[in-house]
Amino acid sequence: MAHIHLEDGALSPIWVIFWWAVAAALIGVAMWSLKRERVSTRKMTVAAMCASVGIAAFMVTIPVFGGLHLNLTPLIGILAGPALGSLAVLIINLFSAAVGHGGWGVIGVNTVVNLSEVLIGYYIYRTFRTRVNLNRFASGFSAAALALTISALMVVAIIAVAGIQDSHLDEEETAHNLWLIAAMNIGVGLIEGGLTGYIVSFIGRIKPDLLEEIERSREKRPPDEDAHKKGG
Amino acid sequence: MTDTSRRSYTKHVPDIRLITHYAEKTDSIIHRVNPWTKAAMLFFIVALVTVVMDFLLLAVIYVFALGFYAAAKLPLKLLVGWYFLPLVFVLTLVIMFVFTEPGTEIARLTIGTLVIAVTDNGLILMAKLVVRALAVVTFSLAVFMTISYKHVVYIARRLMPGPLATMFLLTYRFLYVTSDEITDLLDAVHSKNGNMVRGMLKQTKMFAGIFAHAFIHAFDRADRVSKAMEARGFTGDFPIVERVSAPRPREIAVVGALTVFLVLALVSRYSGMEGG
Repeated sequence: MAHIHLEDGALSPIWVIFWWAVAAALIGVAMWSLKRERVSTRKMTVAAMCASVGIAAFMVTIPVFGGLHLNLTPLIGILAGPALGSLAVLIINLFSAAVGHGGWGVIGVNTVVNLSEVLIGYYIYRTFRTRVNLNRFASGFSAAALALTISALMVVAIIAVAGIQDSHLDEEETAHNLWLIAAMNIGVGLIEGGLTGYIVSFIGRIKPDLLEEIERSREKRPPDEDAHKKGG
Repeated sequence: MTDTSRRSYTKHVPDIRLITHYAEKTDSIIHRVNPWTKAAMLFFIVALVTVVMDFLLLAVIYVFALGFYAAAKLPLKLLVGWYFLPLVFVLTLVIMFVFTEPGTEIARLTIGTLVIAVTDNGLILMAKLVVRALAVVTFSLAVFMTISYKHVVYIARRLMPGPLATMFLLTYRFLYVTSDEITDLLDAVHSKNGNMVRGMLKQTKMFAGIFAHAFIHAFDRADRVSKAMEARGFTGDFPIVERVSAPRPREIAVVGALTVFLVLALVSRYSGMEGG
């Protein structure tokens, strides 16, 4: 996995309700922003396609380190944008809960963690492409690796503050116990970062218009290796 | 198609085609239960495993979920494989707690100056989380594998805001094509004698190519689909083919009983009556 998904019963009822409320508020903001933009049928289908690829990709085990499952959430953020990407990760979480990959009650907290990956992935990629002038691979890698690192730390913070049901450990001891999975998730996040970097480079070569919107505000073309290879 | 699916590339995640096959083609007493009743029961199972703290009661909920799954004539052998990821998620989360949770030491290992001890409370914590997760996974799969697509459309339209329901249902429909696309690409890699066991860098590059193709084709398809939908007068709402009727009185009684259980569990937990 590229990050841990909490299962039902891990958090107490109060925290389950709290994170559902936070997720609902964030999804509400995303829907309000889409309503303001008057999202087209095309954009909606594109985001749905992104979500379906995210779910389908998860069904494949990548034979690295004994088998990994990826979520591709930062990539969905890069391709679909923050608002539609937010709806896409909620839908991915709904489907995931249906098949046992993360619980129903903790969809709220899992969605908040995934939303952070979408938003961080989107804004870091955009910043690196438009302001730092990094190439697509480096931007995609940095966006996904940083997003997944931050989300792994977020998981530690969320669980440390909320505590695990039935555990008698305090916040500090709980956080201490979670550093191992945080380190593991960060390691896997680096692999997903590499994968995201390759995918955006590939998409940039084959169908650059898919990245047009996120790279639009570039004033000067960055030193993109892919572009040089194509002579453009 | 009754035991496994050719299209599935992992035993750990249920294949969408297999889920649909059981939902649309199989008949059982659970398939005939009203979808609203099953959705409500899922809500109560999730709420109960979150609220209940007693291990024995949690085990009873799990046995109930397993019985529900078996009554739906769903494959028990495959369910064992589908437990793998939920177990991995639970164990990676709580494995350290088994050693650090305060309690009576059950086993102790000393390696030089390092002492590792398993405590009773640590094991109970892990066991409870495993039972909770498996109860919900089992019940959720049973619900998902016994509700037909037309009823999913109706429930999604009733429960979710418009744009979210539309996106959810589009994703559901696209999932078959995109999962086929990815498995076709993996088939192509295998058929060209593409060895799946390589160095990390080569693996990453190969899978990046597969997923990138899937995304590019998905975007192309999205263009075609959206044009076709608009040409047919799509206004943003999925048509409802069949409404889900109201549950029968005896099903309402079951949901009522679950409500009572939940209220009792809440009272018991927050008035401090229940033991750990």
